[in-house]
Formats: sequence, C-alpha cells, structure tokens
Amino acid sequence: MRVIVGGVGYRNLRDHSVGVEVADRLEAQTWPDDVVVEDISYNPIAVVQRLEDEPPERRFERAVVVGAVQRDGRRPGTVSTYRWDGKLPGDEEIQRAVTEAVTGVIALDNTLVVARHFGALPDEIVVVEVEPAVHEFGDTFSDTVGHVFDAVCVLVRTLATDDGAVARLPRAPLGGGSLVNVEAS
Amino acid sequence: MCFKNLPIEFDAAGKPYLRAGVADPYTATMTAPRGAPTQLSADKVEELLKRNGFIQEMDFDPVTRVAGALAFHTVADFNARKVLEARSMATLFRGYEVIMVGRDPRDAIYITSRACGVCGGVHSVTSAMAIEMAMGCVPPPLGILVRNLALALEFLYDHPLHLHLLAGPDYSAAMVGPTNPSLLARARSTEAPHAEIHGFRTIGDLMEDLNPLSGKLYLEALHMTRVAREAYVLICGKYPHPQTIVPGGMSSTITLSVMNEMFTRLAQFFDYSKKLVAIWDDLTEFFYTANPAYKQVGSRRAHMIDTGIFDHPDAYDATYANAGAWGDRRWATPGVIVDGELVTTDLHKLNIGIEEFVEHSYYEEWAGRGQRQRFPTDPAGNPLSPYHPWNKVTKPRPQGQNWKEKYTWDTTPRWDRQSMEAGAYARLWNTAVARKLPANSFIESTGTSLKMRLPKGALPEMEIEWHVPEVWNAFERNRGRAYCTAFTALVALNNWMAAMDRLKLGDTRTSTPFEIPQRGEQLGVGFWGAGRGYLTHHLVLDRGAVANYQIVTPSTWNASPTDRWQQPGPYEEAVLNTPLLEETDDPKQFKGIDILRAIRSFDPCMPCTTHIHSDAGVITREVNTCACGVDDDGG
Repeated sequence: MRVIVGGVGYRNLRDHSVGVEVADRLEAQTWPDDVVVEDISYNPIAVVQRLEDEPPERRFERAVVVGAVQRDGRRPGTVSTYRWDGKLPGDEEIQRAVTEAVTGVIALDNTLVVARHFGALPDEIVVVEVEPAVHEFGDTFSDTVGHVFDAVCVLVRTLATDDGAVARLPRAPLGGGSLVNVEAS
Repeated sequence: MCFKNLPIEFDAAGKPYLRAGVADPYTATMTAPRGAPTQLSADKVEELLKRNGFIQEMDFDPVTRVAGALAFHTVADFNARKVLEARSMATLFRGYEVIMVGRDPRDAIYITSRACGVCGGVHSVTSAMAIEMAMGCVPPPLGILVRNLALALEFLYDHPLHLHLLAGPDYSAAMVGPTNPSLLARARSTEAPHAEIHGFRTIGDLMEDLNPLSGKLYLEALHMTRVAREAYVLICGKYPHPQTIVPGGMSSTITLSVMNEMFTRLAQFFDYSKKLVAIWDDLTEFFYTANPAYKQVGSRRAHMIDTGIFDHPDAYDATYANAGAWGDRRWATPGVIVDGELVTTDLHKLNIGIEEFVEHSYYEEWAGRGQRQRFPTDPAGNPLSPYHPWNKVTKPRPQGQNWKEKYTWDTTPRWDRQSMEAGAYARLWNTAVARKLPANSFIESTGTSLKMRLPKGALPEMEIEWHVPEVWNAFERNRGRAYCTAFTALVALNNWMAAMDRLKLGDTRTSTPFEIPQRGEQLGVGFWGAGRGYLTHHLVLDRGAVANYQIVTPSTWNASPTDRWQQPGPYEEAVLNTPLLEETDDPKQFKGIDILRAIRSFDPCMPCTTHIHSDAGVITREVNTCACGVDDDGG
C-alpha cells in the first residue's frame, strides 16, 4: 500500500508548526519503499496538483495528515486522531476553502477539504490533530505541545505503517476524532 | 499644474518648492480637496435610518472571495436603489512596520514577503530595491532582467486567479440566475461576439463556465496558476516566498536550460491572454447593452496612482536622484492620473505628494502639535510632508469601531490630498497615455491606447488594443486586468529575449556584492508594483539597522477609509456610486451582488494592507468581526 505522510502548518509559528516539525523528523527516518513523507504546507491547490502528478498505478492509497488545529472545547496538547469520513461541507464553504488556498492560507482542514473536493486524496485519510497552546512567532513549542511531540511522531509512524492500527480508528467527520492517550516525553 | 491642493510649486528648472507665505503648509485642517465627493455624516445617516423603513443597513462581514479580512458596512435606500453610506474596514492590525524596526535590513526581504500569501515576491523585490537605494548598489543587467521576469510571472499567477476564481463568479450563471433571472435568460440567447476565440457560443454558456468549483473557466484558471508558479520557481526557488531575491539582483543561476523551461510555460499565456481578453470584452459589452446602469456599478473618478514596474537595465541605477529618469524607462510607466488626465510620470513628484493619515484608523497621530519632522525634504531636497511615509511612525491603538472616529486598521494614503486608486489597470493607463515604452516589437503606446501583438500559439497571432475607457467602473477594472495579463506576458517576452541576448554574450552575472553601511543614516525607497498595482517600501537605515520601515500597498490605497475631509476611500466611493440592480423589491432578498462586484473589482488584498499581526499573536486567516450593529459610541 502506497502511503503519503503529510505535515501541515506554518514554520516559526510555535505550536502551529507541529505538522511541519513532525514531517521534518519523520522525513529523516528510514521508511519502507511505499511510504513517502512530505511537508505539504503550501497552497492546497498545489498539493492537489502534486498528488495528481502521481501516475495512476502509483496513486497513494492512504494519506496520514498531521497538523495543529484549534477546536472548541479541547485542552491544549490534546492529540486527536481519526479516519476522515471524507464528507465535505457545502459548496459555499468549499469555495471559501479554495479562496483561502489560492490566497495563501495554510491550514490542515483547508488542505483536506480542497484536496478531497478535487479528488486528489486517497479513500483512506487518517488525520492526526494536535491542539495548540500558543499562536505566536517563535521556533519552539510551548511546554504543553513539546511534551507530546515525540509521541505524536511515533503515532504518525504507526499509522503510516500499521494497517491494524488504522483499522481500529473511528471513522469521523472533520474535527470529530477520538482523543489519543500519548505518552508525554 | 501637478499639485492642486498641496502648496507645492515648481521653479523654472522644474524643482519643487513650498509656496512662500504659507505658515503651516501641511496642516491637515486645510481646505478640503477641490471637487472631491463626500460621505453623508454619521449623524445624518443615523437620522435617515430612524425615519425611513426603506433605508436599511446591509453589512458584508467578511467580504468573501477576497484575500484576507475585509468587512464592509453600507446603508442603502431600497426605494431609490442606491447606497447612502459606505465604510470599508480592514479588520486586522498591520504590524510588519513594527516588526522591522531594529533589524538588519536584509531581513526585510524575507519578513515582508510574509505580508502576503499571493504576492510575497513583490514585497521581497520592493524591499531589495529600498536597500539597494540606501546602499548605492546596482544590479547587473541580467539581474534586472530576471527580476522583471520573476515579477511578470507572479502577475501571471495573480491576474487569472482574480479574474476567474475571485471576481469571475460574480458574473457566473450561479450568481446571475438568483439575482437577475431575466439577465441570465437574455445571456442565454445572446451570441458571444468572440466565440471563435474563447469557444463559448453564447454569453450564457460563458456564464455557466464561470460557475465556481465546476465551471471550465474556474478550473482552467486553477491550472494556469500552476503554469505561472512552475515558471516562477525556476528562478525564485519557492512560491510565494522567493529565496533568490537579494539587494543588488538575484542569487539564481540562469542557464539556457532554465530560460527554455521558463519559456515553455510563459508561451502558454499568449493564447490564454487572447481568451481572457475576448471573455471580458464580451461580458462587459453584454452587461452594458442589457442595462446601461451597469456602467455605474463600481464607478468613481479616474484618480489613479502607480509606481511603474519592470526596469530597463540601461537606465536603472538604484539612486533616488535619478528615479525620474529610470522610472520613465520602465516597461510600465509610473504616473498619477487625476480625473482621467495623466498629471505626472516623475517618481519624485509621485513620492513627495504621498501622505498617510490615520484620523479614522486605529493608530495614534505622530505628526503635528509641535512634533519634530524627521525629514523636511527628500534626499533630492524636495519638500516632504510630516505625513509622508519617511516621516511616519506606526503607533497602533486598538479601540471600538465608531464611524465618527476610528473604524479600520487600514490607514488613509492620499496623493495631493486626493483619494487615489491602485490597480493593474493604472499600469495600463499610464503606459498607454505617457508613450514612453521602450522600443519593442510587441507593445505600442499610442497616447490613448495600448496595442499588443500576441504571438501565434494554438490560436493565430492576434493584435489586441486596450483603450482608455470612457467610463471607470467595476467592469473596466476587470476588463483592464484581462488586458494587463496580455501586457504582462509581452513584457515578460521582451525581457526573456533581452536576457537570452545577455546569455549569448556570456554575461551570466545576476547580482552585485554589497555591504550594509554601519555608519550614518541612509534613506531608501522601493518603487515597484504588485499584481494589484502600486507598491512602495520606505526605509530609514541608522548605523546598519532599520530605524523606520513603511509599506504602502495597492489595497492600502483602495481600502482606505473616509478622510478628515469626508472624502471616501476608493472602495467606499465606488460603492456609493453603485445602483442596486437586483430584480427584487424585497430588501431581505437582496444579496448585494452589485456592491460586491464593485468591491471585488479592485482585487482586494487585505493581508498586504494590514500585514496580519496582533499583540495577542499572529493571525493566519480571516476572522469575522461582526461589523453589523456597530454604534456611534464605539460599542
């Protein structure tokens, strides 16, 4: 099974950089031939075009996408993971997502919605969300997110390579995953 | 006479000076600019709202399909179908000026690029030019040519994006159907005059394919952004934040292979431009014929300002002293247009006429009341206002919205105290009228038009001609942007050919070494342009560090609020002149499509305008501010 692991986020934005930091860490590791790790923190339309460039016989069958996302009612440092059910919002919201995409907004949910709408994502989409504690310039995580970072990297690696672990995840709408107990480092 | 409002006159040699006998020449309480339209006072609007049920508020928060965070407040008379009050609100704080202070100036190239996710590269180049001027560092010819190419490619990303992803849906069947069903019916039975070029038999067919998400034109524009981006990264490394812009040129290695790869992508825009022009000509003429009132949508005085762009390697020397001369040799001529007349192409006159006010903006005043003016003149000895960017100090002061006082994070730039508009079309207008284009085989400036010869592709070679419009409105902005795509592609072609000539001579140098001066004070300004038009970065260096950094973008001009003379900003003025042409009598059913057409025709870019930073953190996407219900006590 060909798998793409994608990190989404801004660099130098403290906790909001967690997606790209995970991608950087994992990219340096050794992987099976059928797993590709990339920083996909760029215009989601360009992400669509990058995924569409894969030849038909080599299209990815699973995407594991990781990034920081602020969701109401979730404690900072919370890690949430799920298999996205792929259900898209209404056309107006998709248009808004495309507008954000082409005008430079980088966000995990935006990337997923745009890539899904244009049919670029595989059927199996695993999402790993980290609830950020701070939203400011800087190249270090908050203590809260820093404590879970290593465990998030292990989790993402597992979800990229362990079919059983993925099968045990709930299928959920965007933002609706289950919380994961990760061992703080 | 260049200046009508500022007391600036010129001696026999053309040197500007302040008129004698004016005690306080730049006092902001001077008489209102002559002939300017004004907003109704907030008190008067409030009274009308209380008295008349058919006068109602209509708010757009956020305005969608624009880059970044813009909110817009209107009060409309639904009987007369006109707008009585229009307020433009940039809802996020601009902070890049604050971030830059105290830094190494080279940081500006990378930091200011982050002001925008569409056009980061234009900020990088503009900051590199400001630093070049402060240091006296001139790029080599190939560096100038490749820089021109990079920016042209950035515009070729930007223009299709705006035309068919952001503004285009306003003219799509999906939008026109619900708001103006009879217009859509008429479109379906109206043959498109340029069907052989764009391939749509009727205007209705064309409208169908402007539909967002599914229309062929929408999807094709997404594809063309890729083509431009691929060409751009060949010389800039990354998009939208280039890695190869340096003071003194470019750090890219330019080879024949790079040039050839770039050309295969650039060439795709020759045919695409032919289609764009045909589409926007047909759409515009259809709306005008169907209802001449559409000529009033987004209309305003033709007051425009543009810094010009695309330098000639034989002219650009990075000095302020010679800015008038090298500005005149640009492929897009700098200039100021007042009431449709070109009043200057001189970058000095353009620069000394600029002032930035904050009466209705969330900033504290920095000038007046006996405060020392840091630079009474520019480096050439021309008079400068205390409100000029070189003298400006950014002092943010958040507070509640209040139409009588402050309601936006945008400032109020004015030229000769007049509300000027920026845009790709200003680039066309100046260049068409000034007749200063470098000699070339593809573009001709006639004094009233620009003739452009687009090379053969899948479509045959074609000559198109953009005429200075008789009316200035939303449709002409979009039509101008379509023609500007062709203009940009041909400027790129000219620069590509010149760059190939340099390579054939074995001249591969793209940058000049430089050192940041560690002593004394230096001034610099980057006069450049974004896809959306005018862009300046004003820099003050003090002992090697940034002492002041001021950015004025196209949307700083266009989104500016009403000024102290009650003169509305360009968005506001355009909306005030916009008739409500939707086919409904029920105010609750109004979608405000004509107002939105007016606003979107400017191609708003709010991240550039406000630069996305707040004391509470960094803002990376737009927010809803709830402009509705703002009241006069700042609540």
